[in-house]
Amino acid sequence: MIEVIVNGIRTEISSEMNVKEIIKELKYKQKGFALALNGTFVAVSTYDTTIIYDNDSIEILAPVQGG
Amino acid sequence: MTKHLEQTTDTWEIGGKILTSRLLIGSALYPSPANMEDAIKESEAQIVTVALRRQAAGENAGGNFWNIIKALNIHVLPNTAGCHSAKEAITTAQMAREVFGTNWIKLEVIGDQYNLQPDPFETVKAAEVLIKEGFEVFPYTTDDLVVAKRLADVGCKVIMPWGSMIGSGKGLMNPDNLVAIRKQFPELKLIVDAGIGKPSHATQAMELGYDGVLLNSAIALAQDPVKMANAFKYAVEAGRLGYESGTMQAREFASPSTPTIGTPFWHQFK
Repeated sequence: MIEVIVNGIRTEISSEMNVKEIIKELKYKQKGFALALNGTFVAVSTYDTTIIYDNDSIEILAPVQGG
Repeated sequence: MTKHLEQTTDTWEIGGKILTSRLLIGSALYPSPANMEDAIKESEAQIVTVALRRQAAGENAGGNFWNIIKALNIHVLPNTAGCHSAKEAITTAQMAREVFGTNWIKLEVIGDQYNLQPDPFETVKAAEVLIKEGFEVFPYTTDDLVVAKRLADVGCKVIMPWGSMIGSGKGLMNPDNLVAIRKQFPELKLIVDAGIGKPSHATQAMELGYDGVLLNSAIALAQDPVKMANAFKYAVEAGRLGYESGTMQAREFASPSTPTIGTPFWHQFK
């Protein structure tokens, strides 16, 4: 097990894995959001090749009302 | 009503799009999603601002909101609200581009938590990077002429000075500063963003020659947001017509409008 921070909350995941896999493990839907890893945007096209390591910080953002 | 609209419809360009409405509307703070939808429709705005926030696993609240906005079939302007550095704003803009499918970004980098005043240094820094990455940047800034100049220098085609603090409803704090920016940058698209509280504030901004106004709270927090959206639609239109018509010069003395020749009960006393 490793620990990552997902939207500010410390979360255990089974192992190091790519972004596509962590989305599935965390039970997120497959679209409708964007993701940043350690403050840097991760494009959907790179989900397969971007690896999440211990203590990484992930932001998963979706559309909301705004002014 | 039809005659009125035919007389006043004009078109303008912003961010590569041709529009007829000069009112940009926010999507937050409405009593309900249905009320938001009705108010946006009533305003006839063609640009609506949206945002990104953290989503929990399994949630689809964002999807429901986004479906309502998409169905309106108007242009979406995502913001970077809540960002406090150029880096945060750049990342948020990149995320917004992917989610919303637009290269437009309302760039907000806040420098003070109390009055939500934009940080000019970080805003300019972020604008420069985002423009190089192909974004159409709509920067929210103060009414400072030099900051506007720096934003123009890095390639911003649109600048959005505040009227007053976000959500304050105080109207235009420094009309003279807004006029100075207008005069200095006749080629840029200028939008008064933030601080508008009443339709008359929007009219005033348009009379100064601004290309549009962006507001949210003034409509969403009205007792009847849908009716207020209608009021703002006409306020913006009236202000634009006033500007195009050329207002009279103010005078320091009274001047009767009714002819003085033939004034009744006038006597020439000897």
